[in-house]
Amino acid sequence: MHKLIMYQTAMHSPELLKGTLQTIVLKVLGDHGRMYGYEMTQRVKELSEGRILLTEGALYPTLHKMESEGLLHTETVHIGKRVRKYYTLTFQGKALSKDRVSEFLDFIKTMSAVLQVKVA
Amino acid sequence: MQLTNDHIDYIIKDLTYRGIIVDHVRNEILDHICSAVETEMSKGLRFINAYQLVLREFGHTRGLRTTQKQIVQFENQTPRIMFRNYLTIAFRNLLKHRFFTAINIFGLAIGIASCLLITLYVLHELSYDKHFENADRVYRVDTEILFNGNHHRLAVGPAPLAEALMNDFPEVEAAVRFRAWGSRLIKTEKATDNIKERHVIFADNEILQVFPLKLLSGDAQNGLKEPNAVMISKSKADKYFPGQDAVGQTLILDNEHNYKVTGVFPDFPEATHFRFDFILAMSGLDESKNDMWLSNNFNTYFLLRKGASPADVEAKFKKMVETYAGPQIEQIFNINFTVDDFEAGGNRFQFSLMPLTRIHLHSDRTAELAANSDITYVYLFGAIALFILGIACINFMNLSTARSANRAREVGVRKVLGSLRGHLVRQFLTESILLSFIAFVIGLGLVALALPYFNLLSARSLEIPYSDPRFIGLMIVAAIVVGILAGIYPSAFLSGFKPVNVLKGKLALGMKSGLVRSSLVVFQFMVSIFLLIGTITVQKQLSFIQNKRLGFQKDQVLILQDTQVLGPQIESFKNEMLNETLISSASISGFLPVSGWGRSDTSFWPEGKQTTQDNLTSMQHWRVDHNYVKTLGMNVKAGRDFSKDFPSDSSAIIINEAAARKFGFANPVGERISTFDFSEGEIDPDKSVTYTIIGVVEDFHFESLRKNITPLGLVLGDATWCMSFRFESEKASQVIDLLESKWKQVAPGQPFQYTFLDEAFGKMYSSEERLGHIFGIFAGLAIVIACLGLFALTAFTAEQRTKEIGIRKVLGASVTSIVVLLSREFGKLIVIAFVIAAPISWFAVSWWLESYTYKAEIGLAIYVLAGLVAFVVAWLTMGYQSIRAATANPVNSLKSE
Repeated sequence: MHKLIMYQTAMHSPELLKGTLQTIVLKVLGDHGRMYGYEMTQRVKELSEGRILLTEGALYPTLHKMESEGLLHTETVHIGKRVRKYYTLTFQGKALSKDRVSEFLDFIKTMSAVLQVKVA
Repeated sequence: MQLTNDHIDYIIKDLTYRGIIVDHVRNEILDHICSAVETEMSKGLRFINAYQLVLREFGHTRGLRTTQKQIVQFENQTPRIMFRNYLTIAFRNLLKHRFFTAINIFGLAIGIASCLLITLYVLHELSYDKHFENADRVYRVDTEILFNGNHHRLAVGPAPLAEALMNDFPEVEAAVRFRAWGSRLIKTEKATDNIKERHVIFADNEILQVFPLKLLSGDAQNGLKEPNAVMISKSKADKYFPGQDAVGQTLILDNEHNYKVTGVFPDFPEATHFRFDFILAMSGLDESKNDMWLSNNFNTYFLLRKGASPADVEAKFKKMVETYAGPQIEQIFNINFTVDDFEAGGNRFQFSLMPLTRIHLHSDRTAELAANSDITYVYLFGAIALFILGIACINFMNLSTARSANRAREVGVRKVLGSLRGHLVRQFLTESILLSFIAFVIGLGLVALALPYFNLLSARSLEIPYSDPRFIGLMIVAAIVVGILAGIYPSAFLSGFKPVNVLKGKLALGMKSGLVRSSLVVFQFMVSIFLLIGTITVQKQLSFIQNKRLGFQKDQVLILQDTQVLGPQIESFKNEMLNETLISSASISGFLPVSGWGRSDTSFWPEGKQTTQDNLTSMQHWRVDHNYVKTLGMNVKAGRDFSKDFPSDSSAIIINEAAARKFGFANPVGERISTFDFSEGEIDPDKSVTYTIIGVVEDFHFESLRKNITPLGLVLGDATWCMSFRFESEKASQVIDLLESKWKQVAPGQPFQYTFLDEAFGKMYSSEERLGHIFGIFAGLAIVIACLGLFALTAFTAEQRTKEIGIRKVLGASVTSIVVLLSREFGKLIVIAFVIAAPISWFAVSWWLESYTYKAEIGLAIYVLAGLVAFVVAWLTMGYQSIRAATANPVNSLKSE
C-alpha cells in the first residue's frame, strides 16, 4: 500500500506536522478570504520561508473533506479552458479557525513545559 | 506567462491517460498544474520540463490517483453528496430503460390509485357518526323478539321506552325517540305546488341534548317542545325561504298540517347513519303518548352519563321487560309472564344496546333509519386494495430481478471499484423509491380523474383531502414504504452477486432462474383469478335474482305514489284509467311485494280457539282491493280471487301457501281464522275479527331473496297511498304521459311521483349491484396490472433469448414451436395459479352465498371460464412478444457474433 507523504520539508519532519494541515488551511483562509489551491501552497511556502511545503496529494483531499463537513464554501470561475475553484470559510469554519489556533498555542505551551524549553 | 490552449489540452489528455477521470477533481488539478507550470516557465523552463517538475510534486500517476481516490472517498462518506449521486444514477438508469420504467410506473400508479380510492372509501366508512360531540356516549336501544318461530330484530323500540330509561336508569342523561314517517308533501303558505320530501322525521326535544345540532338560528333549548314545531336543514331553509330567515315561517305538510319553523340546523355530514331535513316535534304525534310495550315504532337513542358503564344499563333491561312489558303480555296471551319462563319456551323479548359509532357498519335490523353498510365490505375492499398494491409491487420486483442479468455487470464493476454491499442496496433502493414517488404522483392524478366515477359507483361523495398535512405526510411515508417494499428484494438479490462470477459471465440469469419470481407470478394470477370468479359469481347471483320466478309479474307495472291526496276521488280516478286502452288493470293498495313498501304484521289464530303461545301465527296482513291479484300478476292456486259478485268478501281473506302450511289446513278454502281488532288503534284482547279463507295464492317473494317467504294474507281494505297500473308492453312513455295529464286535472299542485315495479324491485339489490360493479372493476385492474408485468417479463425473455431463437430458426425451428417455447413457461405458472385459486374461491363464494335463502347454482363452468379468461388474456400478452421474437430474421440477431 502506498504510504502518503504528507509534507515535504526542508527542516521539519512530516511526523511533527501531521494533524496541523487543517489548522493551516483554516488560518490561511481566515486571513485571506477567497483562495484557490495553488495559491494556498504558495502562501504557506512564503510564510514558512520554504520550510513547509504542502503537497497537493494531502491538500486536496483535506479541502474536499472540509468542504463536505461544511467548513468551507466553494465557488468556481471559468478562465478560458480552465476552471478555478475558490475556497472561503463558512461561518462554522471561521469559528473553528479561532479554536484551532488557540488550541495549537496551548499545545505549544504544554510541549514547552514537557520538554523543559522556552519558546523564543 | 499564460499557457496556450494546446498546452492545456495536452495536460487534460495526459491526466485522463493517467486515470484522472472524475470531472471536478480533474478540473481542480488542471488549474493547479497550470498555475504551477506557469510559475516554473516564468523562471525560464520549457513547458514540458516544467510540467514534469510539477507532476513530480503530485507524485506522478500514483500520487494523482491516490489523491483522486481520497477525494472521492471523502465525498462518498458524505450522505448529502452520495444521495445526490444515487439520485443521478437512478434517473439515468430509469431513462435508459424507458420501456420497463414506463411499465413499472404505470402498473404501480394504477395499483396506488386503486389502493388510494379504496382507502378513502374505507376511511369514510369508518368515520360514520364520529362527528357528533358525544358520539362515544350515545347508544341506541334495539329490540329482539322471537315468538312462535317469528324472529324480529328491530332497530326500534316501544314508545314508552325512552321515558322508562329516564325514570329508572340513573346512568341515562337524556333519551330521544325518532319516529320515521316516510315521505311528506311540503309547501310554504304562499306556494301552490307541493314538494315531496323524503327525509322527514318526528323527534323529541331531547334530540338537542343527545345529538347537539349546533343550530344556525332558532331555539337550541326548547325548539321542539311545542307540537307543530319543525326544525329544518340549511339547504331546505335556502330552498323554501331563499334570502330570508326561516325561523318563524310556516310550512304546510300534506296539505293540512301547519308547522312553525323554530330552528335551522346545518345539513348533516354525509358520514351520518341517518339524514333528516325536517325534524317535527314529537309532541304533535298521538302515537308517541301511548303505553304499548308490544308495538315497536320508535328509534330510541340515549346519552350515557360520563363514567357510567353501558353494561350496567344492559343488565337492568331484563327487569324492565318484566316490569313494563310483562303485564301486557300476560293480558293478551293469558299466561304468567317471567322472562325466564318465556325464554325456556324458546321465545325471546330482549333489549340490547348498539353504540352509535358502530351502527353504520354493524347494524342490519328492521326499521333502520337508513340503509346501513356492512363491515364485511370494508374488510373485503381493504383486502382487494392490498392485493392490487401487492400485484403492482410484485411487477416491480420481478422486472428488477429479471433484468439482473444486465445489471449484474454493473454490480460487478461497482464492487471492484470499491462499492460496499450497503452502497449498492442504497443505490437500488433510491431507484425504487424514486420510481415509487413518480408513481404516487401519477396515481394521485388518476384518483383525481376517477373519483367522480367512483363516487357514482359507491354512492358516496369522497374527496381527496389535499389540504390535510396528515394526508400529504401519509402519502410521502407510503411512497417510501412502497418503494422500500418493492425494492428490498431486488436490492438484496443484486447486491449479493460475487464480482468475480458476474464479470466472468458465469451468472447467466435467464428466465429459468428464480423460484421466487415464479411464485410471485403465480400469486399475481391467483389473485386475479380469484377476483374474476368473485365478479362472475356476483353477476350470476344478480341475474338469478332478476330472473327468478317471483310469484308475481314485476314487469310493466307502474306505481303512482301519494295517491291519498285524491281523497274520495280515488275510486273514480281508478275507474277512469281502467277505461283507457293502454291500461289493462289498476289497483289501489300501498302494500307491494317489494321491500320498503307497506307492511303490517299481525297474529292470527284458527277461529274459536283460545289464544295461546302455540297456536298464534304471525302473518303479513295486507289491505288490497278487488284488482290487486290481477294487476300484480299473482296466481291463485286454490279457491278464487276477490270478486264484486260476493258482497261477503269484505270478511274474506286470501292467504299464501306459506300461511296454509303454517296453519296446517289440508283444504284451506272455507276455513276461518281470527285476528285482534285493531280498528280502535289499540289491541283489545276481548275483541277479535274473523275472516273466511276464499283462496290461496302461490307464494310470492315480497322481501329480498335473502329472506324466506313468510305467511301472508290479503284482505279488502283501504291503503290508498299508492296505485298500481299494469299496461301493455313498449308503451311506458305513453302511459306516463296519460297518467300525468289526468293527474294534473284531478290533483292540481300535487307532485306527480311514479316508479316502475321492476325498478323498485331492482333497488332492493342495489348494494349487490354495487358490489358486482366494484368487484368487476378491481378484478379488471388486477388483471391489467398482472398482465403488464407479464408483458414486460416476456419482452425481457425474448430479448434475452434472441440468439437462442436465431440459432433455433437457422436449424429449422418453426415459428409455432418458438412461440410455444416462449409461452410455455408462463402458461404453466398460470395453470398452477388456477389450481390454487379455485378452492379458495370456492370457499369464498359459498360463504357469500350463504346469506341468500335463494341462490344461483355456481357450477364448475364459472371456474373454468375464469381460468380461461386469465389464461387467454395472459397468452395474448405473451403471444405478441413471442410472435415478434419468433418472426424476427435470425440474421439480425446472429450477425453480431
